[in-house]
Amino acid sequence: MTPIIVGTANLDSNTSALPMEMFVSLIGIAILTPIFQPEQHSDINDLVSSKYINTTTIYIIRTIYSIIFLTIFISLFSVYMYIRHCDITLWLIIGTISDAIFLGSLGMIASSICNNTIVAYMVPTVFYALNYGMGSKLKNFYLFSMTMGQFTPKMWMLATGILLIITAILLKEIQKKFR
Amino acid sequence: MLFLQELKKTIFSISYILIVIVLIAALHSQDVLNFKEPKLSKPQVGENYGTTTKETPEIIMPAALKQLWTEFCVNNYETYPIGFIKNIKLNDSEQGKVIQIISTITGMDKDVVLKTKEQFFNSSGNIVPDIKNNINYSDFKDLMQQIDDILGGGSSYNKDSLIRFGIVPISYEEALHQYNLALNEDKITGGYARLFSDYAVAMVLSILPVFLAIIIFIKDRRANMSEIIYTKNISAAKIIITRYFAIITAIMIPVIILSYISNASIWGLYSNIRLDYLAPLKYDFGWIMPSVMIVTAVGMCLTTLTNTPIAIIVQGFWWLLDMIIGLKSVESAYSLFRLIPRHNAGTQSYFQTQDYINHFNSLIANRLLFVGLSIFLIIITILIYEMKRRGKLNEKFRFKKAISNFRNRKNQYST
Repeated sequence: MTPIIVGTANLDSNTSALPMEMFVSLIGIAILTPIFQPEQHSDINDLVSSKYINTTTIYIIRTIYSIIFLTIFISLFSVYMYIRHCDITLWLIIGTISDAIFLGSLGMIASSICNNTIVAYMVPTVFYALNYGMGSKLKNFYLFSMTMGQFTPKMWMLATGILLIITAILLKEIQKKFR
Repeated sequence: MLFLQELKKTIFSISYILIVIVLIAALHSQDVLNFKEPKLSKPQVGENYGTTTKETPEIIMPAALKQLWTEFCVNNYETYPIGFIKNIKLNDSEQGKVIQIISTITGMDKDVVLKTKEQFFNSSGNIVPDIKNNINYSDFKDLMQQIDDILGGGSSYNKDSLIRFGIVPISYEEALHQYNLALNEDKITGGYARLFSDYAVAMVLSILPVFLAIIIFIKDRRANMSEIIYTKNISAAKIIITRYFAIITAIMIPVIILSYISNASIWGLYSNIRLDYLAPLKYDFGWIMPSVMIVTAVGMCLTTLTNTPIAIIVQGFWWLLDMIIGLKSVESAYSLFRLIPRHNAGTQSYFQTQDYINHFNSLIANRLLFVGLSIFLIIITILIYEMKRRGKLNEKFRFKKAISNFRNRKNQYST
């Protein structure tokens, strides 16, 4: 839908960031947020917990392949934009991946705390919506910073995203021990 | 009483608490819970009253031509078809059409146009051809519309957008007129209430209620309570309508409280003026509630139909599209199908009360449309719920049956 909604041809570096940050990065919410969803059903959780393999290992595997899929998708879209004569740089791709991981990690931590995927979808959606209104007040967590030529916030978001993912998985492990 | 039960269930849910927190945070970030804008004051003679746009051909035509000329020379045209910038690069044939139009506007031959274009890069863009003396404004608008058509729409050359080139300073009389409108029509508080409503609907209330609706309905399925509720001696209409009103009530309670907190923050500034203390309530029910109603109805309808949270994607997409379209016309936009009517004008532009008055009928039509649409969706939801209660529309059962039939068919041939 992105090429239909906004132009993806002949864009310079800053303008190329627009479709990437505003739309492509949303894939992070769709891919990472439901990682804990199958085990939210108590019967499935009991079944999975009874297996030899640790559920934490399963979560880590899911997270890794989700991030790989997310990276491939964003890279393919970048190639598409490159073919349409947009000024796509490596930093744009990394920045978009950072956005996607950050949004997805918000969903993961919410899912881990609330044990409810729908509430988990709400958290990154709210954060995304707030970026339209609050804008640069979010400073190092402003999703659309690349449209202003700033890449530093992307590093903050990538680091925070990874931290949140690790925290979410650890939280699940702790919850399992105390059940 | 069922309504109180549903209301209690809604209010004590995590998602509701989250919505209220986000609503407060979002409004606080825009300084609408405690307005920091300068007080609306009567304009004095000799001040700078800002600028406005007027359809003045003598100003619009040269300004529009200048921009067109620059974009033509670099072959990079900016359009905003849905609010975001889209850069258009025309092919030779399309550039040829633009040359023809420029030639008509300026009275220059095509060869002269091309020669002048070459000089553009040497002169740092200072050479701009003049408009032909005998071209009238109506013809000029038609020619500019042709440019907009070549560009695929959304450019500043569109007939309705050309007025943006007519930037003129606001006169003392115009500023005084705007001030009097804000004083007499809005009674001051109306302007602030409108600003509050704009932010509340745009940032939060046209997307978040859908989550509440989905969670309330999916809770039954997660707790394996659906079939038990189906057997109860209560009509589908009563269940759906009660839940719907419980969700709307739960959302509107903090909205009303916050709207009064917001509005009351400026009452002290205008103590010598007769204010409309009911203005927040009018905007809460007239402006905000229809958006909340339609979003909740979409959530309930799709969740009841599919038993999945697909309404998040549907409503999210609708919200995003409406927000993007609205970015182009944040000051005032009231078209019929706008989920988020926009009117983002504060004291520095005298709340643009005139715009509000001019488009009031459009706003009413818009809000009534969404109220009607939400009632329609609720009726559909009731019908779907009733059908599911009677065992129809049970997609899970049909899917299992199809699979088991396939298995049986396979076994027919086993020996």
